[in-house]
Amino acid sequence: MGGPLAPTRTPETTVEEHGDLDRPWVTIVWDDPVNLMTYVTYVFQELFGYDEATATALMLEVHHEGKAIVSSGPRERMEHDTNRLHAYGLWASFQRDT
Amino acid sequence: MKPFRRRGDALVAQLNEAEVSIVGLLLDQLEQLLDADAADAGSDPVLTRLFPEGHRGDRQVADEYRELTRDGLASGKADDLATVRATLPPEGGAVRLDPDQAQAWLRTTNDLRLAMGTRLGIEADTEPPEDLASEEGQQLAVYYWLTGLQGSLVDALVAGRAGRR
Repeated sequence: MGGPLAPTRTPETTVEEHGDLDRPWVTIVWDDPVNLMTYVTYVFQELFGYDEATATALMLEVHHEGKAIVSSGPRERMEHDTNRLHAYGLWASFQRDT
Repeated sequence: MKPFRRRGDALVAQLNEAEVSIVGLLLDQLEQLLDADAADAGSDPVLTRLFPEGHRGDRQVADEYRELTRDGLASGKADDLATVRATLPPEGGAVRLDPDQAQAWLRTTNDLRLAMGTRLGIEADTEPPEDLASEEGQQLAVYYWLTGLQGSLVDALVAGRAGRR
């Protein structure tokens, strides 16, 4: 990987609902029956620099709640985070925060 | 198999010849799948799992993400796979990995487990096989063997990180 994910993105042309522009985007990791709990925790630490306690708490949230928000910010960064998680085989997606 | 352990900066495991040939076979299958034209294999559930939707619910955003990331993700997987293949001792023996190679092994063994897990319909409560005579029992046994191998690599990497602090 490396380099910005979307260096030449065209300006958003869709009409946003009022107020949506201010809401951040989030990256979500979804539970899946294959990925090891130790692996998921390791990847959270490796990709996001979380300490072990934070990474473990997020992993457990994924495991018990079915999903967890692992990062938030501008859309481009959430796309990038999702892409990095996909490279490690985690089941991730990004969306506007609800 | 002797699971992965840290030896200085390296991560070392021992695989026998049969284990190496099984991993080699799985790598070949994964490679074929990755090489398959996306249009041909677009609905293959394994590919859907290896290249997940970036956005759920908005087709346009999902397509845009796919367009931006698909090639990079695929070439990363191909590079990782080549690294794993190059570090396998053909006749069995020591697998010795530097930190970058260890990351490639982590991702590729995970892809192999995702592929097998999807094909085998692995769920959270799936148990290791009791009947090793059946085809599915054997595949499940390979899946759990890979789980052990990958798990040992994660543990060795985590132990190394703790040691650095």
